[in-house]
Amino acid sequence: MKPVALFVTCLVDQLFPNVGEAAVRALERAGCAVEFPGEQTCCGQAAFNNGFQEEARVLAQRFLDVFADATAIVAPSGSCADMVREWYPHLFRDTPALLDRARSVASRTYELSEYLVRVLGVTDLGARFPATVTYHPSCHGLRGLGLRDEPLGLLRAVRDLRLVELPDAEQCCGFGGFFSIKFAALSGAMLSAKLDTIEASGAEVVTATDVSCLMHISGGLSRRGSRVRALHLAEILAGS
Amino acid sequence: MSRPVPPGDRPTADPVALFIERAEQVGISVITVGTHDEAIERAVALGRERRVQRAALWDTPEMAPIRDRLRAEGVEILDPRGTFETFAQAEIGITGAEWGVAETGSLVLSAGPGKPQAASLLAPLHLAVLRSDRIVPGLATLLERCGPLPSALVLITGPSRSADIGLVPVLGAHGPTAVTVLLVAG
Amino acid sequence: MPDHPTRIDLIRNTEQALRDASLQRQMGKAMPASRRARADAVAELPEWESLRSTAAEIKDHVLANLEGYLRQLESQVSALGGTVHWASDAAEARAIITDLARSRGVRRIVKSKSMTTEEIFLNPALEAAGAGVVETDLGEYVVQLAGERPSHLIAPVVHKPTEEIADLFVRKLGVPRYERPEELARVAREVLRAEFLAAEMGITGVNFAIAESGTLVIVENEGNARLTTARPRIHVAVMGVEKVLPQLADLSVFLRILARSGTGQRSSVYVSLLTGPRRAGETDGPEELHLVILDNGRRRLLADPDLRAALRCIRCGACQNECPVYQHAGGHAYGSVYAGPIGAVLTPAYEGLERARDLPFASTLCRACADVCPVKIDLPGMLVELRARSVRTGLASWRDRMLVGAWTFFTRSPARFMLAGSLGRLAQRLVARGGKIERLPYPLSGWTAHRAAPVLASTPFRAWWKSRQGEGR
Repeated sequence: MKPVALFVTCLVDQLFPNVGEAAVRALERAGCAVEFPGEQTCCGQAAFNNGFQEEARVLAQRFLDVFADATAIVAPSGSCADMVREWYPHLFRDTPALLDRARSVASRTYELSEYLVRVLGVTDLGARFPATVTYHPSCHGLRGLGLRDEPLGLLRAVRDLRLVELPDAEQCCGFGGFFSIKFAALSGAMLSAKLDTIEASGAEVVTATDVSCLMHISGGLSRRGSRVRALHLAEILAGS
Repeated sequence: MSRPVPPGDRPTADPVALFIERAEQVGISVITVGTHDEAIERAVALGRERRVQRAALWDTPEMAPIRDRLRAEGVEILDPRGTFETFAQAEIGITGAEWGVAETGSLVLSAGPGKPQAASLLAPLHLAVLRSDRIVPGLATLLERCGPLPSALVLITGPSRSADIGLVPVLGAHGPTAVTVLLVAG
Repeated sequence: MPDHPTRIDLIRNTEQALRDASLQRQMGKAMPASRRARADAVAELPEWESLRSTAAEIKDHVLANLEGYLRQLESQVSALGGTVHWASDAAEARAIITDLARSRGVRRIVKSKSMTTEEIFLNPALEAAGAGVVETDLGEYVVQLAGERPSHLIAPVVHKPTEEIADLFVRKLGVPRYERPEELARVAREVLRAEFLAAEMGITGVNFAIAESGTLVIVENEGNARLTTARPRIHVAVMGVEKVLPQLADLSVFLRILARSGTGQRSSVYVSLLTGPRRAGETDGPEELHLVILDNGRRRLLADPDLRAALRCIRCGACQNECPVYQHAGGHAYGSVYAGPIGAVLTPAYEGLERARDLPFASTLCRACADVCPVKIDLPGMLVELRARSVRTGLASWRDRMLVGAWTFFTRSPARFMLAGSLGRLAQRLVARGGKIERLPYPLSGWTAHRAAPVLASTPFRAWWKSRQGEGR
């Protein structure tokens, strides 16, 4: 059994714990022994993206301490995994000892679908999810981690799931962390464009690897009175 | 840091065929003829078809027979050493072309004495005579072979165009509305 | 940077842009079309990634050896009979060009599209010196008639629909109202033909300047740049220092990537390689050639290791076409001639973070721009760096400092994190209805202005995990 340290992420922990539960079930189905290091909190992305690199460094250092001994760190979030892999080394570029640790931890950090498919070589978790589903490729996972085929491969293996293409799928949904508040009108306009394509796809469910995108999309769907549901990929994979 | 070297052109089996394909894709009409004499006939025929009354030509040995034949047909040949204003009255500009570039479907014209830019720029129709053995596969080859540069070397890839107004493509924004190449195969 | 004291209010500008239905329609048509055209043109070249890398390396090589290549360029241009002028800033560049116009008795000038001349606000200076300047690029001509600035690097009037242009022509040119683009283009062509014939000076930009031969390369589709350089007796070419390339052979890389990235063409319609003024026996081309080489903050940018790669930019506009923020905001919202992703880096670099502090934040860091940049500029990385500088120099708003401060406080330990959750769950009872929150108070009200907010879960994950461990699997 492969030991996996789950980095559940702050948003999942407090807002969408069912996604965390689903991620655990999916990993266990794939033959992993999941641990949850209780000292974890946040990867620091929100502070970092807002220019507060000092504060981000504090959180990043905590992360390095918490996950120091993990063989594999898996997060149900492309943006958090991307933060660790792409930006932790940058944050510690001036301190060689921490830089080494950052590089080491980064090399062991994965987004969930990436871990399942690329590391474990698993695409079929025996899941069943009877619905028409469309996939929104969250930007950090897509362009930061190169996630493209992995989530789609996993979705295609789900029984009774009808996968439909999302038009202009690679257009950003407009969340962007604090951007959604700072530039709320722009964020709303980009959201509106994303919702139009989701509705045009004919899907009953929109899914993604990041709850950040999904809560933004879901909030918009709600305002439109839409019946389309927004579910994290893990929730679909844990369906049976 | 040593200077990075640009890659050469991808080899093409048939640069002439590629040139024709790509030129036509950008709206250049390509008429293939066997000999320069045929080219002269076609040029004159085109002038007749379009009822050309005033033509601007390069003043070169290659163009001389075309000039003489057009003159014989009653077409006014504008003075090649004349002013821009003179050339602006032309209905057709007839020039040679130094090179053709297959990759992009481009004509390459050099400026020089007797070879004003005005001839390929002002009239609504530009007719260029190009020998097929002057077609190179791509830009890298062109730049290798073009030698010491003239005051102006111009790559022409289609008629003048703009999509600035309402995103609608319009031809003849400032330059010619139509470009035709007489491709001499022989 | 004394030219630009006031802060660009990007938030307000973008809100205004979003209320402009006509702008949204225009941009909503133009940007996706440009994206598709680029994607098709790039898909045709299996060597695309390798071309990008080579282009980036050539540009970096130039930047690392800039002064040497500029000196070589100067010496070649001079040997050809041209005159090179060095302008350290916008004011100096304006002075050089207006002095030239004055001393040569120039009353009428034609210009082809040049973002560099827009950057230095050249036209008003020339007008003040008594020379009439007419923009000859169709889009720039419209923009000039409208008294506006261009809104896109290569499509200056992308923000304006045909009907508005038709009205503008009626108002400014006294012509009847033409509905169709071909008719409007014909009007412009006739007006501008006369201008080309009357002008004593032509001013252009420079896409690339070849050091080994002193060749100036100008890329266009309309033919107005050819006319601008073939007819008037004086040609003034204005270039930023970073436009120099070592050798002619380098053009094979840059010409391939420029048109494909910007418009999806294999080549722009006209690429002019100009090497010196008119030669003996020639009847067109300028008698006098002047090359103005502009710094205006570029060398300062060159000395900035985190941002210097922005100088690789070849002004293709692909990043603008790809950016969803730019699509919705339009170029004018950025308050500068450099807009969109490249503008969010150059405008703070050239005009100062004080003035342009919001620009690097107007991005979700989606990386679409970085994916398409033909010279591989890491724009998102630069935005991150500029955001950090913004905070370090004390430009962060009180609200941001409060939000991030609170976030960092509550995430420093699991206990605090759980406390935050508990406090949040208490507070949300006031506003939560049916599992959602429709109205959040300041400083989060921007969220609920456009979407519902989720509620904090009654049992956070870590509580579930703990109980699960307690029960055993």
